[in-house]
Amino acid sequence: MSAAWQFYFATLIVYLGVDILAVWGLNVQFGIAGIGNFAFIVFQATGAYTMAVLTLGPPPVGSFQQYIGGASLPFPLALLAAGLVAGLLSVVIGLIGLRRVRADYQAMVFLVVSLIATSVVNNLTGLVNGPAGLSLIPKPFAGLGFGLVSYDWFYAGMTMGVCAIAYLFVRRLTRSPLGRAMRAARDNEHAAAAVGKNILGLRMTAFVFGGVLAGISGALLVAFIGAWAPGSWLYPETFVFFTAIVVGGAGNDLGVATGALLVPIVFLETTRYLPNFAAPGVVDALQWVMVGLLSLAFLWFRPRGLIPERRQRFKPDPATQRRPAPVLASGPAAGEKVGLDD
Amino acid sequence: MHLLVASIGFGLVTASILAIAAVGFTLQFGVTNILNLAYGAIMTASAFLAYAITTSGLGIWAALAICSVASGIGCVLLNRAIYTPYVRRGTGLFGMIIVTISVSLVVEFTLQAIHGSSFVSLSLPATRSYHFGAMVFTGLQLAIIAIAVLAMLCVHVLLRYTKLGKAMRATAADPVLARSCGISTGRVIDLTWLVSGAMCGLAGVVLVINVTSFDTSTGGEFLIPIVAAAILGGVGQPYGAMLGAVIIGVSTEVAAGLFDPTYKDMVSFVILVGFLLLRPQGLFAEIATQKEVVA
Repeated sequence: MSAAWQFYFATLIVYLGVDILAVWGLNVQFGIAGIGNFAFIVFQATGAYTMAVLTLGPPPVGSFQQYIGGASLPFPLALLAAGLVAGLLSVVIGLIGLRRVRADYQAMVFLVVSLIATSVVNNLTGLVNGPAGLSLIPKPFAGLGFGLVSYDWFYAGMTMGVCAIAYLFVRRLTRSPLGRAMRAARDNEHAAAAVGKNILGLRMTAFVFGGVLAGISGALLVAFIGAWAPGSWLYPETFVFFTAIVVGGAGNDLGVATGALLVPIVFLETTRYLPNFAAPGVVDALQWVMVGLLSLAFLWFRPRGLIPERRQRFKPDPATQRRPAPVLASGPAAGEKVGLDD
Repeated sequence: MHLLVASIGFGLVTASILAIAAVGFTLQFGVTNILNLAYGAIMTASAFLAYAITTSGLGIWAALAICSVASGIGCVLLNRAIYTPYVRRGTGLFGMIIVTISVSLVVEFTLQAIHGSSFVSLSLPATRSYHFGAMVFTGLQLAIIAIAVLAMLCVHVLLRYTKLGKAMRATAADPVLARSCGISTGRVIDLTWLVSGAMCGLAGVVLVINVTSFDTSTGGEFLIPIVAAAILGGVGQPYGAMLGAVIIGVSTEVAAGLFDPTYKDMVSFVILVGFLLLRPQGLFAEIATQKEVVA
C-alpha cells in the first residue's frame, strides 16, 4: 500500500473511532434513556476546545488567535479534562433541557441550545477565537520519533484503544441494572417512577455519561486534526450521529457502532469519489440532502435499525407467582424488579 | 434616549416579521401536533422563490402573494405526502422530529445545490423614509408592520369568529372528541397547513425584504427567535406567540442598539433559558401533554 493510501486509511480509522465514541455517548442518551439531545455536537465541541486550550499553552502576546485559559498539559490529562468539562456542561444544560416535557419539545429546546452555542462562540471572540477557530494544536506524543505515516497508524491504534476502554464502560452501563432502569424510564416514565426510580436522576446520569464520551471524542479528534472552528460543529453534524443511530439500531451498542461505520465513514466518504460533475460545493450540499433522505428511508423501511435493540426478557419473579414458590428459589434481587417486557 | 427610541422602532419591524412567523409555527404545532422544524427551510425556499420572481421582472407585491400561496400549498402537500404517512406508520414524537429535520436538510441543501452558497438581495422599489420622533421607518418597513397587523387581525378573526377557527381550536384541544362531534379533522388539518404554510411563506419574504442580503441558511437561522417567541407564549398558543414575538423582537433590537449587535441572539437565548427554568409552559398555556399526533 502506498504511503498516501496508508495515510488515508489511518485517518479514516481515527475518524471511525471518534464517531463510534460519539454515537455510543449519544446512544446512552437517546437509545437507552430516550433523551433527544440535538445539542450533542456542542459537547463534542466542548471537549475539542478544552483539549485545544489545555495543550496550546498561554496565548503569546500579539498572537493571531486569542482564547481564555491556556496551559500545556500532557495529552492524557487534557483528554480527561476534556471529558470532565463536557460532563460539567452536561449538568448545566441538563438542568435546562431535561425538564419533563414532550419528546419533540425537548428536542427543539436542545436544537436551540446548539444554535445558540454556535452564536455565542462566534460572537464572543475572546473565548475561543470566534469564527476563525483555533489552530496549530500540538500533536500528542510527537516527540516519540514516529515517521509521518507511522504516527498516523499509532494515533489510529490509540483511538481504537480508547474505544475499547470506552466499550467496557458503555457495555457495563447498558447491561447493568442502571441501564435497565434507564430503559424503563424511557419506555414508561410513570411505571418506572411508581416502582421508585428517580427519573430525573436516571436521565441526568445518562446525559452526563454521554456528555463525557462526547467530550473525549472531540478531544481525540482535535488533537489529530490540529484545528477546530464553529464550522466544524454546526447543528446538522448532530443529525449525522442521529442518522447513524437510526440506521444502526437505537439502543444497541454494536448496532450504533455499525451505524457509525456506515453513515459518517462509508456513506459520506464514498461520495468523495464521485466525479466532480457540478460546481464546487454542489457535492457537499448533496451529501446533506442524502443524509436527510437516508434517515427518512430508514425511518420508513426499517425504523428499528439494522441491528435492533434486543428485547429485554426477565424470568418471572417467584414471589409474584400464584403457585407457591420453592423456598430457596433464587429470583432476581429485590431492587431489580423492572419487569417491563416490551 | 434617542438611541433607545430608534432601536424600539427597529424592534417593531423585527417583531412584526417574527409575529407572522411565530404565529404560523405555533398554529401548525397546536392544531396538527407536529413540531415542524422544516419551518425555517420553507421560509428560505419562499425567499428564494421571491428572488426568482422579482428578478424575472414582477414586483415585490406580486412576489408576496405568489410566495404565500405557493408555500401554503407546498405545506399541505408536505403534510399529505410525508408527515401524515409517517404518523400513520407509527413514527413516534421524536421520530417525527427526525423526519422534519430531514425534510429541512433536504430543502435547504437542495436550494444550496441549485443556487450555491452566495448571498443575494432582492431588488426593491426605493421608498422615502418616515420619521416618528426618533423612530425612522422606510416605506417598506411600514408596509411590513401593516402586513403583520393585518395578518394578526385575520388570525384573530379566523380563530374567534369563524366556524373553521372554532373547528381548529377544537381539533387542537382534543382531536378525538372533535371528530366524534362531527368535525372533519382531516379537512381542518389540511386547512391549518394551508393557512400556517401561507404565513410561513409570507414571513420568509418579509424577512428578506428587511435584511440587506440573504443566503440559503437565512431562514434556518431565524428559527431561533421564532422558537423563542413560540416558547415564550406557550407552544401552540397563537396569542401567546404574538406577545412573545413583540417581547423578543423589541428586546433583541434594543439590546443590539444599546450594546452591541452581536448580543442579538444572546438576548433571545437568555429570555428562552429564563423561561425554560421558571415557566417552561410559557406565558399563556399549560404545556401540551404527551399526546400522539393526529393522523
